[in-house]
Amino acid sequence: MDAIPKRSNATERRGGVQIGSPKSRPHTESAIRPEKVIIRASGFSLFYGEKMGVSDITMEIEAGSVTAIIGPSGCGKSTFLRSINRMNDLIPRTRAEGLLAVGGQDVYDKRTNLVNLRRQVGMVFQRPNPFAKSIYDNISYGPRLQGIRSRTKLNAIVQQCLEDAALWEEVKEDLHKSALALSGGQQQRLCIARTLANKPKVILMDEPCSALDPLATARIEDLIAALKGTYTIVIVTHNMQQAARVSDRTAFFCLGKLIEYDLTDKLFTNPSEKSTEDYITGRFG
Amino acid sequence: MSVRIRQVWDRLFTVLCSGSVGLLIAVLLLFLVPMIVKGGKAVFFRQTVEFRKMQRDLFGRGDLDSLHEAIARTGQARQEVLARIEQFGRGIDTKLLSDEAKDAYRKYGLELRYREVSREEYSRLRAAAKDIRDNFLAALDSTEEAAANRFLDQVDLHRDSPEFQATAVETFFTLSKQYRRILDEMDLAHREEYAAELDIVKTELRNLLGPLPGESTPPLPQDRFGATRWDVAKKHLHYLLYQTKWVPGDSGDGRLVKKEIRRDDPEAGLFAGTELAPLFSMMEKNLERMLEPEWTVYGRYFLDDSTSGHYFGGVGPEILGTLVLTVLSMCFAVPLGVLSAAYLVEYAGDNIAVRVIRTCINTLAGVPSIVYGLFGLAFFVLIVGRPCILSASLTLALLALPVIIRASEEAIRAVPQSYKEASMALGSGKFRTFLTVTLPAAGPGILTGLILSLSRAAGETAPILFAGAVALGPIPDLGLKFRWLFQPTRALSYGCYDITVGDRLAMRVPHNQFGMVFTLILLVLCLNIAAILIRSRMSKKLQGM
Repeated sequence: MDAIPKRSNATERRGGVQIGSPKSRPHTESAIRPEKVIIRASGFSLFYGEKMGVSDITMEIEAGSVTAIIGPSGCGKSTFLRSINRMNDLIPRTRAEGLLAVGGQDVYDKRTNLVNLRRQVGMVFQRPNPFAKSIYDNISYGPRLQGIRSRTKLNAIVQQCLEDAALWEEVKEDLHKSALALSGGQQQRLCIARTLANKPKVILMDEPCSALDPLATARIEDLIAALKGTYTIVIVTHNMQQAARVSDRTAFFCLGKLIEYDLTDKLFTNPSEKSTEDYITGRFG
Repeated sequence: MSVRIRQVWDRLFTVLCSGSVGLLIAVLLLFLVPMIVKGGKAVFFRQTVEFRKMQRDLFGRGDLDSLHEAIARTGQARQEVLARIEQFGRGIDTKLLSDEAKDAYRKYGLELRYREVSREEYSRLRAAAKDIRDNFLAALDSTEEAAANRFLDQVDLHRDSPEFQATAVETFFTLSKQYRRILDEMDLAHREEYAAELDIVKTELRNLLGPLPGESTPPLPQDRFGATRWDVAKKHLHYLLYQTKWVPGDSGDGRLVKKEIRRDDPEAGLFAGTELAPLFSMMEKNLERMLEPEWTVYGRYFLDDSTSGHYFGGVGPEILGTLVLTVLSMCFAVPLGVLSAAYLVEYAGDNIAVRVIRTCINTLAGVPSIVYGLFGLAFFVLIVGRPCILSASLTLALLALPVIIRASEEAIRAVPQSYKEASMALGSGKFRTFLTVTLPAAGPGILTGLILSLSRAAGETAPILFAGAVALGPIPDLGLKFRWLFQPTRALSYGCYDITVGDRLAMRVPHNQFGMVFTLILLVLCLNIAAILIRSRMSKKLQGM
């Protein structure tokens, strides 16, 4: 909570640290070095039929960092997240404009291989959604899709991923039991482990803790901290404390637009936009 | 007050709900219990010695020695009855007597030829014998007792003449004596009536005891044996004992009422006072000794081929045929149905065309089965070239398809989007996702549709009526050359229909008719239990148990 300033403080500071016009592009006080950029959105918009999902998003995400996206419900943060690995394709009549690139590859290019893209950009969902298979089969699902058949290789991958997801100690005896027998928090870590098995560059997390109790949430957050550096993590969350705890940078979305994008400390202590301040201080949202 | 009323309503609702379930169970029992009891009679019943004979002759089963003993025992019990019917038959059916008379005359002619007699003597004796014969035949033909006796007197004139001693002509005198005795007992004016009734009595005796002595072995197996089952025997005994007559009723308005009269009834019975009369009480008293009924379990009913129509044997080929048809139709319908459902849910979206398709499918599910039958005849049979297993199972598949599509559609739609997303996010395509995630998750729902349509396909008669079912036909050998695909087959539902519409058959083998229904119910039950077990295993797996 300390990171979130009182409203009065924020207004005071705004006078002093006003940077650019309200319409200015995300402030990059500590700009990301170009070679470190892994996800680049430039004037990116996504429409559901006629309805606008997100519009004109321009932001860059640094490789190996944790980026949080916050914003009120329906602001397009999940839409943007799901655009990064094109999960929105599952919804009929979606249309994208502008540029969105992962590792230099245009995501919405017609020639983009969705399978490769999704292998590089893994995703963890709001509700834990393990397959109704054994733990082992859940983890090995991705590698098997890639054609890995060797049992020893798969065993190694399963163990490695579960260890990385801090689940190995808990389930190593029950690898061939159904994943659905696990608790909610364990299931979510299993889903993360399953994503890791694909060796992605980026992991997208769509409110991964919203269905979990505080203890399980804490473990997931620890896990995120541990995975940072190896993987680029983009996390959408409703929980501003969580964003403040786990992320390096935070983007604030509102009504389908990117309002502010900055270092987390900076955004929470000294937001440059009025609506950001209103949101993080609890005026709305 | 209003709270009380609401409570009353709640109570009432509970009572109504449980009441309707109770009613349902009652109706189900009311339907199933008689069906099972009647059908069970095909397997548990009292067999007679005729049944053992049949099993021995047609299937080569049973111990020959003990069977021979039983045949000897029952033969003894039957002896008197059979003798009586033969004796009485001579009087009624004069053909036998006249044949014997003609035969005797012919024999006498041969005898004469080998005797040393002059030409004149030969002609005289021959003429005399001819005269005797003609008089006897005239006696047989005359419808008045007096006239008949007069002719017989003419025959007996020669009884003491020495020239006929120890020749074939003596036969005439024995015959005349027999006929006189018959004439004493019988009213010649009613001979036609006697003849007609005697035919019935003989038929029923044949139904009870098998072919009568002196008759040649009938070509059809169903005529070779008497009553093989005690319940059937009792029915035929009733037919034997009672004659159905339409007589003026008591109301006096000339309306006729049906009345059953015992054939040996001292007042009204036709055969009362005749030589045949004791036969009826004898049959009634001694039938058990004649047939030796004993309880048996005919377990091979479910395996045996039926012999000569559905008269004897079991329903083995029918069961096999039903299974083949059902399984084959499911092989056609399930992949097609599931794929269509997948398309409708995953790809088709929601536009006018899809809605029209969906409506059509729902309509198809309600189309009467005879329509499918006619379509099968007009389409599949025409394409395949003849009514056969292939065309029949294709028709059944068509019948099952709408139910499967509907159930699968609901099941696939009910698979949480998050499952599919998880798979997609791991980089699998639509096909892989469908195969590895959606299909297993929708499995129990799809199986439900399969159970529903499987039961229907197994039990339907109309679709296979023209498309490949026969009452009697080859047994599918399931060989790898698939020739059996192009043969017609028997099926339980069709067999039951066939027996039921063939009324003679239904009367003679009601146990078979219900036995088929019973077997069909058992079969469907077994298939359903298998499917339900698989489904519960699937859903347990889905729930992580």
